[in-house]
Amino acid sequence: MKDKRPVYLNLFKIRLPVAGMVSLAHRASGILLFIAIPFAVYLLDLSVISSDGFAEVMTILQHPLVLLVEVMLVWALAHHFFAGIRFLLIDADIGVEKTQAKYGAWLVVLASVIIVALFICELVR
Amino acid sequence: MSVYVLEGLRPWVIQRVSGVYIALFTVYLIYCGVSAEQTGFELWRAWLFDPVNSVGVGLFIIAVLFHAWIGIRDVILDYIHNIMLRIFILALVLGVLAGSGLWAFRILAFRILLLSVVN
Repeated sequence: MKDKRPVYLNLFKIRLPVAGMVSLAHRASGILLFIAIPFAVYLLDLSVISSDGFAEVMTILQHPLVLLVEVMLVWALAHHFFAGIRFLLIDADIGVEKTQAKYGAWLVVLASVIIVALFICELVR
Repeated sequence: MSVYVLEGLRPWVIQRVSGVYIALFTVYLIYCGVSAEQTGFELWRAWLFDPVNSVGVGLFIIAVLFHAWIGIRDVILDYIHNIMLRIFILALVLGVLAGSGLWAFRILAFRILLLSVVN
């Protein structure tokens, strides 16, 4: 099918409403979590082989660069979790109305930020 | 184009059912992690050997594989329109997921269950 209509999709010029941002971030966080899967399985393997392996996993997880990745993944997981619940509720016709949808989206953003803050607090404690 | 891999309602349902299980089990995992008074290699292995946790983790892995496949598949179908590139990346994703799944199964079956029984 050939379609010659012009398409204007410059992502830098489209100002998405917060619900749109949450939807986009749901995808982005999903992709991040997908990329993390093989690494998570590797760490799981290492952690159950021997007590040395377990200790090595603990060392890896405390490396500064890895900690940065962990913070990012905690955000991705939290956002995906809360945005997922929001989408399930929307499937059930809860929070579809415009204002509610907006507040729901802000709630997702806020809840994920709180989880990330809790994680960072736990790290520096 | 009517290829099974591109169809709609069943994946939609699987995505939601697996999502609910993943969410619940994640909360359980975090609860176990936070409430653990001690951590260590032996305790970690014992936790994984516990029947409830073995089965729970096994189901979790299966749920994550299906959930990730459907989610990433949808993203690829939305943004990659060149058919050869699309097939290539879909195959790559499937390879990563199948590989991770088999690896995780190997860990759970042989490193945890079998080894713990032998010992």
